[in-house]
Amino acid sequence: MCRTGRQTDPADPHPDTRTDTDPDTAAGTDTDTGTDVEADSGKASNAAFAALLEDSAEDLYESAPCGYLSMLMDGTIAKINTTLLDWLGLDREAVVGRMRFTDLLTVGGKLYHETHFAPLLRMQGRIGGIALEMKQADGARMPVLVSSVVKYGGGGEPLLIRTTVFDARDRRAYEEELLRGRKAAEEARRQAEADRARLQEALAVLQQSLLPATLPPVPGMETAAHYFTASPDRLGGDFYDVFPVDGKRFAFFLGDVCGKGPQAAAVTSLTRYTLRAAALHDSEPVAALSTLNKVLHERYSAGGDPRYCTAVFGVLEPDPATGQVTVRIASGGHPPALVLRADGTADFLPTPGGLLVGVLPDARFVAATTVLAPGDTLLLYTDGLTEARTGEDRDTLYGDEALRAFATEHAGRRPQAVIQALTGLLDEFGDGLDDDTALLALGVPASDPVPDPDPDPATKSTR
Amino acid sequence: MSPLKITTRDTATGPVLAILGDLDYAHAGELRDLLTTLTLRPGQHLVLDLAGMDFCDSSGITALIAAHHHAQAAHADIALAAVPANTLRILRIVGLDQIFPLHPDTESAARSTRPSR
Amino acid sequence: MRFGKLVGMDIARRNNVTVTGNPQGPTVVLAHGFGCDQNMWRLTVPALSERYRVVMFDYVGSGRSDLSAFSEARYSSLDGYARDVVEVCEALDLRDAVFVGHSVSAMIGVLAADLAPERIGALVMVAPSPRYIDDADYRGGFSAPDIDELLTSLESNYLGWSAAMAPVIMGNPERPELGDELKNSFCATDPDMARVFARTTFLSDSRDDLKSVRVPTLVLECTQDAIAPREVGAFVQRSIPGSTLITLDAIGHCPHLSAPEATNEAITGFLAGLR
Repeated sequence: MCRTGRQTDPADPHPDTRTDTDPDTAAGTDTDTGTDVEADSGKASNAAFAALLEDSAEDLYESAPCGYLSMLMDGTIAKINTTLLDWLGLDREAVVGRMRFTDLLTVGGKLYHETHFAPLLRMQGRIGGIALEMKQADGARMPVLVSSVVKYGGGGEPLLIRTTVFDARDRRAYEEELLRGRKAAEEARRQAEADRARLQEALAVLQQSLLPATLPPVPGMETAAHYFTASPDRLGGDFYDVFPVDGKRFAFFLGDVCGKGPQAAAVTSLTRYTLRAAALHDSEPVAALSTLNKVLHERYSAGGDPRYCTAVFGVLEPDPATGQVTVRIASGGHPPALVLRADGTADFLPTPGGLLVGVLPDARFVAATTVLAPGDTLLLYTDGLTEARTGEDRDTLYGDEALRAFATEHAGRRPQAVIQALTGLLDEFGDGLDDDTALLALGVPASDPVPDPDPDPATKSTR
Repeated sequence: MSPLKITTRDTATGPVLAILGDLDYAHAGELRDLLTTLTLRPGQHLVLDLAGMDFCDSSGITALIAAHHHAQAAHADIALAAVPANTLRILRIVGLDQIFPLHPDTESAARSTRPSR
Repeated sequence: MRFGKLVGMDIARRNNVTVTGNPQGPTVVLAHGFGCDQNMWRLTVPALSERYRVVMFDYVGSGRSDLSAFSEARYSSLDGYARDVVEVCEALDLRDAVFVGHSVSAMIGVLAADLAPERIGALVMVAPSPRYIDDADYRGGFSAPDIDELLTSLESNYLGWSAAMAPVIMGNPERPELGDELKNSFCATDPDMARVFARTTFLSDSRDDLKSVRVPTLVLECTQDAIAPREVGAFVQRSIPGSTLITLDAIGHCPHLSAPEATNEAITGFLAGLR
């Protein structure tokens, strides 16, 4: 805006001169009086046009659709327009020279003014669009949007503050609506996060109940296990365990429940504890699996939602005299176990024809026996390993033969080393491994065993 | 992954369900739902034609077992026809090859279905 | 135990620490209050920089501090802010520094001097208040609902903040020298962090902590301060043994901005008397 000539001092101690036109505080003075236009078109016609409008800078200032204030640097109100006085229900005499800007504000607004508005205005010379609340004479509060600029003197010294006040009642109602919406959304998000955390915790506890934390020491043997979780969010259906059945024998099992998620986990839990209990009653492998079969079939066949599992169950019978361990296993629908021999060979221990556990009321399970001599290791696995997809396009299954070849390479090594090698293999599968995989190795250490670097033989991993 | 499509055809010996696409976790429920609406009379032969089945996972196996139970409950027989090699391998591992009569095609399955139990 | 603590450079970055003035001089730490950042001391620094080494910083959650270091738990009590002060002092290995704190920072300085007495040798409390809410015979100037109203004010300005700051962030065309300096100034601070600071500031009660002050202390109050009334200045002076109270002829809560000459004179006079 272009101004000419000396302007009245806005900091005049007697500024309340309603009939004066104060160019400092009357916005648009120049154009409203039409000084630029006068030169071009006739003065008379212009004056007539202004008269027709019956408008003047004075009237525009007083009756503008917004509030105007001029104040001294200490906040004392030097000038205020009629619009603002009317909004607040105040008399000019009570305000001008007597009140400070902050006197017009609510206490909250005052605090905000002192901590934010005033310092920022001081520092940058202007501030715009700040939401404050003003007190009305009847005690009501009026939401407003306030903008201020500092007028500086020739020497850069601040002279006065010019302020406009806009009625923000409608806008504030809308903003409050938005804030309410935002708060509700935040609350919902917080709740969802809390629920999720609780669920994760519950899942973790359940998952832990499905697998042994550590394997018990088996005299004369070394054991190692690994569990790969394909998806931390979904409870896995693979399981294994090793436990003593009497003074000298140990039982073990490893299996795979169909499906994933809570229902599968429930079957896994039932399976694990049924097998443990069955083994204490009769540790004969076929008998233990038959008990499990009855339990699962009885529990799940009626509901039209059959649930079943594959499982290998076995009993270890060490012979302290020879250092050998007799292993008797039975399989229900499970891929055959592998035996890695001290002489560097590896072969499947076939259990063909054993049926999935829980499918039929009377199922056939197939037993097999082998003897582990020092340096021999029995390896049990679930089909996540053999069904892993390999190759460039991830379209080839890893398969039994590849596993046997891999096992041959590691035959003669301790169970811990075999599991470690297989864990490395699972890592190499990358995203080709999309199912949970359980591995359990039970071996008789060779007479001159290499010291075990890891005291905890059970490892778990997730991806 | 291809979606599952099941067509039902009635023959003189009983219904033939042709299963096309993936019988997997996402789709196996469709077969099980269909079974609940499938009426079998005692002595009928239910044939599942798997010639067009691209993939079968453990959920698919569960659905096949459900079909077995459904037939058994109706005193009917069940047979699988044209089982793809990979599924056959899995059926053998889990012992189901002894539960389901397996046939190279639907015609021979329909002719020679024997009681499943 | 020092293990796991942030080292000097990290603290300097976290709290946007700036060091200026005379490197050989005694150290004066200038600490901003609620709603502000270290730019608030713009008119104070020139009066000090010739004789003193001047350290300024932003509390975490304010100004150009590292907002990712903000923790609601830590900064929900003034102790959390006092730990910021102590950690800044440790990072610069300050001894016997003079701590000048504005508003709530004056009380933070009291707590910091108690936590690390070897670091802080004197206090200047600018417009302090140990308790904003009236309590029995004590007059803090506000009621609890007043403070709720301020929190509402903060909320309602949240939506307007980005617009209000646009000209500042883009630079002020009329006063370009302010542009860079004010970038990311306090109004751009995360509203949630501002809310935590507001609650901590206005709901705390640190009256009992004043008694523990053992260092020379200057209390500066304003004749007309809408936030800290005169009674509060007198209360602070009475509570701190041996402290001096100076009433500045200044309006408002920020005398270092509204009456910089008088404020600087009071501070430099106090500093001169210390040595």
